[in-house]
Amino acid sequence: MNQDPPKWPLKLLRFLVKEEYREEIEGDMEETFRFNLTRLSPAKARRFYAWEVVKVLRPILLKNFKTTPTFYHYAMYKNYFKIAWRNLIKKTAYSFINIFGLGLGIACCVLIFMFVQDELSYDNYHEKGARIYRVIHGEATTTDPENGTFAYPPWVWNNAPIGPALKNNFPEIEKVVQFSGRADILLTYGDKLYQEDGIFFMDSTAFDVFSWKLLKGDPKTALAAPYSIVLTETTARKYFGDEDPLGKTLKGSDSPGRGNAGDYTVTGVMEEVPANSHFRFNALLSLNTFRKSRPEIFDYWGYVDTYTYFLVKEQFDEAAFKAKIPAFLSRIRETLDSRYMIAIEPLKDVYLRTTAERQPGETGSLPNIYVFSLIGLFILVIAMINFMNLSTARSMERGKEVGIRKSIGADRRSLITQFLGESMIIVFLSTVVALIIVLIALPNLTGLTGKALYIESFLTWQTISVFLGIIFVIGMAAGSYPALVLSGFNPVLILKGITRSNAGGANLRKVLVVFQFTLSIALIAGTIIVYYQMNHLLDKDLGFDKEQMLVLDYNYDEIVNQKSGAMKAELEKNASILSVAFSRSVPGSYFPHAGTAIQTPEGEMKNMGQAIFQVGMDFVTHFNMKLVAGRTYSREHPSDSTQALIVNEAAARQYGYNNPADIVGKKFDQWGRKGEVIGVVKDFNYISLHKTIEPLTLPFEAYASRYVSLKIKTGNTAETIAAVEEVWKTMVPHRPFLYSFLDDDFNKQYQSDFMFKRLFTTFSCLAIFIACLGLLGLATYTAEQRTKEIGIRKVLGADLGSIVGLLSRDFIKLVFISIVIATPISWYVMNRWLEGFAYRTEIHFWIFILAGCMALSIAVLTISYQSIKSAIVNPVSSLRSE
Amino acid sequence: MKKTKLGEFEELVLLTVAALQKDAYGVEIRRELEALLKTTLSVGAIQSALKRMEDKGFLTSEFGEPTQVRGGKRKRIYSTTSYGRKVLSEMKEIRATLWSSIPVLAHELKVI
Repeated sequence: MNQDPPKWPLKLLRFLVKEEYREEIEGDMEETFRFNLTRLSPAKARRFYAWEVVKVLRPILLKNFKTTPTFYHYAMYKNYFKIAWRNLIKKTAYSFINIFGLGLGIACCVLIFMFVQDELSYDNYHEKGARIYRVIHGEATTTDPENGTFAYPPWVWNNAPIGPALKNNFPEIEKVVQFSGRADILLTYGDKLYQEDGIFFMDSTAFDVFSWKLLKGDPKTALAAPYSIVLTETTARKYFGDEDPLGKTLKGSDSPGRGNAGDYTVTGVMEEVPANSHFRFNALLSLNTFRKSRPEIFDYWGYVDTYTYFLVKEQFDEAAFKAKIPAFLSRIRETLDSRYMIAIEPLKDVYLRTTAERQPGETGSLPNIYVFSLIGLFILVIAMINFMNLSTARSMERGKEVGIRKSIGADRRSLITQFLGESMIIVFLSTVVALIIVLIALPNLTGLTGKALYIESFLTWQTISVFLGIIFVIGMAAGSYPALVLSGFNPVLILKGITRSNAGGANLRKVLVVFQFTLSIALIAGTIIVYYQMNHLLDKDLGFDKEQMLVLDYNYDEIVNQKSGAMKAELEKNASILSVAFSRSVPGSYFPHAGTAIQTPEGEMKNMGQAIFQVGMDFVTHFNMKLVAGRTYSREHPSDSTQALIVNEAAARQYGYNNPADIVGKKFDQWGRKGEVIGVVKDFNYISLHKTIEPLTLPFEAYASRYVSLKIKTGNTAETIAAVEEVWKTMVPHRPFLYSFLDDDFNKQYQSDFMFKRLFTTFSCLAIFIACLGLLGLATYTAEQRTKEIGIRKVLGADLGSIVGLLSRDFIKLVFISIVIATPISWYVMNRWLEGFAYRTEIHFWIFILAGCMALSIAVLTISYQSIKSAIVNPVSSLRSE
Repeated sequence: MKKTKLGEFEELVLLTVAALQKDAYGVEIRRELEALLKTTLSVGAIQSALKRMEDKGFLTSEFGEPTQVRGGKRKRIYSTTSYGRKVLSEMKEIRATLWSSIPVLAHELKVI
């Protein structure tokens, strides 16, 4: 047993008892303790010791932790507040620039923070989120399972048998949930008929894995039986109004390749899928519907139409799991393509960090988040620099105050407290301004970002404490320099009237102004480049006509396809419709992949994969594509429908033909069709300009189309649409008339780019505005300082121009320096941004000259207002005081 | 006796210090008083009384020898100052005067 006094009471004693008594009291305590050990058990003696320590805690024996107050603080602080308030009121313009500028800066930061926070919050609501993973599939670079990496960007969307295979081979997996690709289906209830886009055939385990709330129905069985449907609240209301949807029947059309038409029973109603989900939907159909309609797909490794997610057990070792994948791959490769490869991706990475393609929904962009965070930081820094500049510039005015305070006994510490406190007051007022701006701006931000943000979801104690912390840091950072400089003044010199020329302060101000303008110019240049790039995307010749192209979507409806010939003839009777074509896809929408074998120049049949675009008879002329070799499908060759193939130039190159004419006449084998390649079309951008044109084959497929596209004449668009609808209603009344314009559809691919452009432009303008506010303040101040100098110069004969030049010269010099610094920085950064596009504008040097000129002219305008104002003052009024 | 206040417990401690002479340090004072008063006293009680009286000028102190039983810490030996002794004797006189002024009868009556 330990024979020493207990530790923590001893520590407490040492900490609390006065230094000079410590040895004695500790000695007394220990002596008593040792004596107690002789008559009591050690444990009891130790307890006794602790109790004695408690009794030692008497005021007279304890350290003084408080310094005794020597004078009345209240009056001093009251005076600080009074002075701070008077300073704010006296210089309204400065105060406004400071408070409003900083407030705007903070507001921008808060808004950007909310945006970023929302982007980062994707899929966080899943309670088991940390345990959810998904499979990504692709083709490996080698056949060796140990060292393979993905040869092409992997796909999330792939075969179905991988799910059961994983479950059987990996005991770590608790549940697998699989679902189909996005399906579009026509649902009917009574007279209510809608096409539901982007719904999924979903496994019955979905509600065990994902945290979607089922309001009605049993989560265990809702998606079990074939032809079950779970609706979201709004969808349920759309069909059933206030009726209880549970158990009701919705007539569903077929979903081509997935589910046969049938009556779906509503087995559940769920809450809306949260907006921050990486895929969303209006309804879920049971995967067993799919399984019942096409059972063969679920054993067929080569058929791509499934997303596979899985839930792992509590103790999960990701590294160990990954290490087991090669062995698993070599087992399943025995029956499969020898380069098939999979990897797993945790749920937290699927929105922002995935590189995989064919996602079930939208994905975000991590670089954009970085860019916006950076811009937010820039804006805040610019606003803080304003604050620092104005405070240091005005420091001389307050020199006398500091001198007097010091000579009546203020020490440096209390002066620092005073000035930091003043900056805290300003920051506090700015925060109020910022919050007002945020509240006003928030509803309008939805148009800018495309997402609805609500302040309520950000009012957690974490964000509030972070916010308060940041506000405090801003106050400290912005106030520290003035506080340190002002409190360091020598009172004797100041009160004598000898004001040191504050060269250090002036230099610092110059550096800060250069810094501000560097940021501003970089942002202007960035904005110009973003604008140019976006215009480039919209204006680039895609190789086909996307203007004046009306697209009707009928989702592979068989009846429409059967009537396609008659409909084409009927529609083309209308004079304002130039041509009509049926196709499985339209540029900008979805293209499936296919494996095609084509004879190479060496004569062997080589199998390679590429996108396919199944088209009808007259598509080349219809879309105004250019044929570079061979011929297009023609009614004069009846065999064209099964024994001919058209490819694009990229596909010709893919098979080794540098001259497209050489591929014409070569044999092909695709999806059971054999024949000859009959023509090559010039490359056209069938998907977004983020990507280069990839190989494409255009097989003839008249009767498995999804879209009708109509080339229409300009003018009377509304009338034409009405006429088309009339024809549609008479010929296929069971199908809703869904139309859109091809250029709109195509440009939807750039939605996130446009959002980027809008946000970038808005925040850049704000940054420049704040920087100019600061410059205005500084210019005003300098002009005021030099009032007498200007007066004397005017008396001696200086004219307006020379005085304006005198006042502006210094600032303009700074702007020039900023241009020189900003150019390489923004060139580098924007070049990185442009690398995300396969088709990009050049960064011309004139962009930087323009940005510089803009910054310069904004600066000159800002300054000249003040310089002219002081230059036209009558010297009598500026000089009469002395 | 007008300004200096000497509490009852303080007076006992002061008397003990005077009585113990060279042995007058915290633990010994406490042991002596515990035996006399037939009660237990805490280190804190003794120490705070000592410090208070030192502040008032009734006591002085100096360090003594370190001992093993104190874990190598030195004792602080207290001794009364002449002022302290003067106050003690004043107290004694006041009490004696008061005692002597109690009528014998009253005393005896009370006893009955």
